[in-house]
Amino acid sequence: MASSRKWAPYVFVMPFFVLFMLFFAGPILYSMGLSFVKWNGIGAMKAVGLDNYARLLKDTTFHTALKNTLFFSAVYVVSLVTISTTIALLLSSRLVRFRVFFRTAYFLPVTMALSVVAMVFDLIYSRDIGLLNLILGTLHLPADIAWLHSTNTAMWAILGMRLWRASGYYAVIILSGLLQIPREVYEVAMIDGASTLQQVRYVTLPLLRPVLGVVVVMCTIVALKLFDEPWILNKGGPSNSTLTGLIHMYRNGFLFLKLGYGAAISYALSAIMFVFSLLEVRATQGSEA
Amino acid sequence: MITTTSSRMSVIGRVLLYALLLVVLVITFLPFYWMILSSLRLTGDIFSGRASFLPARLTWENYPALLQSTGFLRWAANSLIISVGGTGLGVLLSSMAGFAFAKYEFRGKNLLFALILGSVSIPSLVTLIPVFILMTKLGWINTYRALILPASVNAFGVFFMRRFIAGIPDELLDAGRIDGCSEFQLYYKILFPMMRPGLGALGIFLFLGNWQDYLWPLIMTKSEKMSTLPLGIATLYANQFQIDYGVIMAGAFLATVPIIILFVFLQNQFVAGLTQGMGK
Repeated sequence: MASSRKWAPYVFVMPFFVLFMLFFAGPILYSMGLSFVKWNGIGAMKAVGLDNYARLLKDTTFHTALKNTLFFSAVYVVSLVTISTTIALLLSSRLVRFRVFFRTAYFLPVTMALSVVAMVFDLIYSRDIGLLNLILGTLHLPADIAWLHSTNTAMWAILGMRLWRASGYYAVIILSGLLQIPREVYEVAMIDGASTLQQVRYVTLPLLRPVLGVVVVMCTIVALKLFDEPWILNKGGPSNSTLTGLIHMYRNGFLFLKLGYGAAISYALSAIMFVFSLLEVRATQGSEA
Repeated sequence: MITTTSSRMSVIGRVLLYALLLVVLVITFLPFYWMILSSLRLTGDIFSGRASFLPARLTWENYPALLQSTGFLRWAANSLIISVGGTGLGVLLSSMAGFAFAKYEFRGKNLLFALILGSVSIPSLVTLIPVFILMTKLGWINTYRALILPASVNAFGVFFMRRFIAGIPDELLDAGRIDGCSEFQLYYKILFPMMRPGLGALGIFLFLGNWQDYLWPLIMTKSEKMSTLPLGIATLYANQFQIDYGVIMAGAFLATVPIIILFVFLQNQFVAGLTQGMGK
């Protein structure tokens, strides 16, 4: 019995570990190696040193993709955190009844797959037959915009559908953080004469900082991986206005079979994600956490 | 005097609060409404004339058309097989590994754990190309294996289950050992019933991820027969000269309904998992 206790943990870990090495840790290293070669998957591999990375610096399409991705991520994270926190604050109010109903309802958009959201919103954003222009027209606002097909609005349109899908989801996470703040803290603030807004500013938000930090990191990583909707709807267009880093990687790696260059792009994107997560963790889990 | 002002304030506050909550509610539901409404309209009707909140002619025709003239049922079956397989295997692997890390001391434990922990900070997108090459070499492209096996490897799942199992008292396991349980009987007789809430929370997230994934099936499958729902519906969108919106929206609705039902029944576990850091 004592001996089975010795080898049992290895048996328990083994299945996970084998698949982990095969499909995760191994590929990470292999990918690193690939990023230093030129290879189309069939012919011979050619070692090119840092050429693939040097090429990233000159590839203007990559720069466009990166600019789009960073722009999207910045606007997405800021708006999402603002909207979700607002929703969570509203829901946490003691005046709210039917909280579970609202929470359930707000959560529903996340049940839709991103590719499904893309197609539903294609029909919402359509110039002639779309819901958005119908609403704008009803309100006597300009209603003649092809939201997904104009270079000025396409990325904003994608941003809109992402925010629609994710706001409630993150609001639920933030709400659970809010509900953990002890009521006494607010009572003290009220005795000190703090208004509701002051309470939010000086009591709630500082205490919420760790939760918000996690949310910021989570949604930054999600945003930097933007792929499904711009790919399905526009293949990164019109004129590369919704081209993202991951689309550029997919094109090079899987459509043009530039496996080495694709791997280099994936490492560049990962490095960016890593740096951003690190900075955000620093910023949000700082002195007060 | 003070009481009247404060109660008036709270009435205004309440009205404002509910007004805002309702606005959010309407925005949340509108796309669902538009999806369902469009699924009940003929594509010809959708394209002719202007959009309307309440169109005159509604019909079920898109649903039989979807089931008969597209691969929808096949995609649904594929999605189900992959999601159930990936989730079941993922939950099993994570809980077994989590058990080992939480309740055993063994040589190499810390090294193994550090390796898994270290890999988490590297996004899985760097594995796309190498796993694609690996699957091609193995001849596994366009098989369920290619979709299920990589999806079942989830380091967060291991951490989550490790933490969950650490909360189960050692005495229970020792009592089981005294009763003559082998280590494996401990896992499925004692641990399994105890960790069901944890498995549920983890399972829901793995299931949601598998059911909704687009990119991985896009890369790992070659034929429409092996498509999953998100991928298959997107090909309906891409393939046609004039997009058959009515049929696509019927597909969109049917692909979403199972998750809505799942969520409504399991929402407490959903939210519990979410707040324990599984939503990554």
